[in-house]
Amino acid sequence: MGPDQRFLGILDTSPFRIAIVYSIVFACGAAALLGAVDFAVSRVVDGSTDNLIEAEVQGLREQMLVLSRSDFIELIEQRSQDQDVRGAVYLMVDPQLRPVAGNVPAWPKEGNEDNWFYFKVSVPYGDETREHEMRARPFHLPGGYRMLVGHDVQERQDVKSLMMRGLIAAVVVTLLMGLGGGFWMGRRILAQAGAISAVATQIMRGDLSQRLPVREADDEINKLAREINTMLDRIEQLTLGMRTVLDSAAHDLRTPLNRLQATAEGAMPGLAPGSAERRVLERVTTEVDHMRSTLDALLRIALAETGTVARETVDLSELVASVVELYAPASEERGIALQSSVAPGATVQGSRQLLAQALANLLDNAIKFTPDGGHIRVLLRGAGKERGGARPEVIVEDDGPGIPADKREIVLGRTVRLDQARKVPGSGLGLSLVAAVTKLHGARLILDDACPGLKVSLKF
Amino acid sequence: MHILIVEDDEVARDSLAKALREAGHSVDVAGNGLDGLQMASAAGVDLAIVDRMLPKLDGLALVQSLRATGRKLPVLILSALGDVDDRITGLRAGGDDYLAKPYHMSELLARIEALARRGDGSTAENNTRLKLSDLELDRMTRRVTRNGKKIELTAREFQLLEFMMRHSGQVVTRTMLLEGVWDYHFDPQTNVIDVHISRLRQAIDKDFDKPLLHTVRGAGYSLREDE
Repeated sequence: MGPDQRFLGILDTSPFRIAIVYSIVFACGAAALLGAVDFAVSRVVDGSTDNLIEAEVQGLREQMLVLSRSDFIELIEQRSQDQDVRGAVYLMVDPQLRPVAGNVPAWPKEGNEDNWFYFKVSVPYGDETREHEMRARPFHLPGGYRMLVGHDVQERQDVKSLMMRGLIAAVVVTLLMGLGGGFWMGRRILAQAGAISAVATQIMRGDLSQRLPVREADDEINKLAREINTMLDRIEQLTLGMRTVLDSAAHDLRTPLNRLQATAEGAMPGLAPGSAERRVLERVTTEVDHMRSTLDALLRIALAETGTVARETVDLSELVASVVELYAPASEERGIALQSSVAPGATVQGSRQLLAQALANLLDNAIKFTPDGGHIRVLLRGAGKERGGARPEVIVEDDGPGIPADKREIVLGRTVRLDQARKVPGSGLGLSLVAAVTKLHGARLILDDACPGLKVSLKF
Repeated sequence: MHILIVEDDEVARDSLAKALREAGHSVDVAGNGLDGLQMASAAGVDLAIVDRMLPKLDGLALVQSLRATGRKLPVLILSALGDVDDRITGLRAGGDDYLAKPYHMSELLARIEALARRGDGSTAENNTRLKLSDLELDRMTRRVTRNGKKIELTAREFQLLEFMMRHSGQVVTRTMLLEGVWDYHFDPQTNVIDVHISRLRQAIDKDFDKPLLHTVRGAGYSLREDE
């Protein structure tokens, strides 16, 4: 796995995805919370400012009725200079909008909403000046004069922008932390899952002594790994037990057969060739041979079915070509055309010997059942890129009598049908072994009509 | 040849000993693994036939201990167990050949001959030119001639002939050919090997007076000059 792939792998892990989803949710939550606070604060602050302005407007209107214009102007000037009323702004203009009194340099350009003005005023701030946001209410004075009363709302704006910056920072930090946390957890999970899948691959290759790595932590992955390990203990015990049973069965059958063979062969040299006694002994050894080949086939089927066979990388292309080559002269002898098309570079994990025997059994059968002058086709469709990474497939086709559709299941049946098998020449276990070997390699065995004949395909 | 048989099954042991003596070998027998190890370690034994399941010391352990002491004695392992992997375990433990029970005596004798020849080094594995009478095979140029005349062989026929020439003068069984040339360890139902041999025979013997490739009835084939 390259660094890029590993990085992308982390993005695919469930903790990373969960962390991303949660951090987005939390970020939205933080945004909503700050938004709500902002809204509430604005309402309270705006409300009190507006009340202040309205009261001032009301007061000035009353003064306007009792005071002369010059007194009123003086009052405005006074209030404008009054440092106690911080942030209050006044402006009185004549009908040509020229300032008459107040602390705002000019009548603001239009910018009103609901009769409110928003404008900026330069305010001394230490040695320099700053543009402050003002909110003000205009009203008419007698004689075409106009008055503007307002308040500095810059502080409110500052609080608002501070809150906005806080909000953005909160969202960004939440997202970054979620991303980082997710990445870290994803890497942990990936490391653990990687270790587990590496061990699982070894176990699938037949090494049942391997166990999944378990950490101290009591999280669900470790719990799962522990349970799987317990399961593996059990499976190992069962297969070992099965293997022991098979071995002792083999031993208990092979030993007496060997004695029989040895005794018969030992007695033969003393007898004249062609004599009745010698013929009996020859029949005995022939029968021992039959029993031996049946026993071998049964044991191999059982071994394949228990899956206790060591696995290696098998060059399927080489194997198919070599089995075809082994059978080529025998089929030619019978006038059968044995054609083959073998794609290069196909490999499978498994037992070369068992695969070879399965293929040999298929060709044995094909030659046995194809009439003289018939045809047999062996096809290996390779794995690999040209077939889009498809698994290899081996097909053996003949133009013999084939197997009727309703009998195909019986031939492939999981249990070995000795009664069925006895009617066929040979040990009759050929296809049962093929079925067991196919299954051991995780492949599918399909019997089909080759029109005419039998088409057997092994899909890995 | 002095052969040691380590086998606990008395019937099998006695017939084996008898057959080996009839074939002209001298024989020692041991009934358990410990005695077997002791006798195999002694000088004078040329070859050992060891059963896999033995009392006191398992056959594989026997071979392993023997190899650990640096004894190079050729060992043929007999086994009454399953197969496929057992064969590999047997060879890995240090056995030179492996035969499953029940076996034909002819098969066992042929394998013993082959093992003994391998052991004394008379057929140098690295010999690039093999020669029998007027038949010559060059492994480097992959050229086969008989009486100076070039013989065309397929790659497999070449391998088959090479194997036969390495074992010239001995009996080579069908299973030995299947194992040695094809690396297959099962018995095919049909007579595939016989057909291959008859092809080879066509190629090397057809145009010549003295046949070199002989059929040994009930056992296999032999490549030799007929006396």
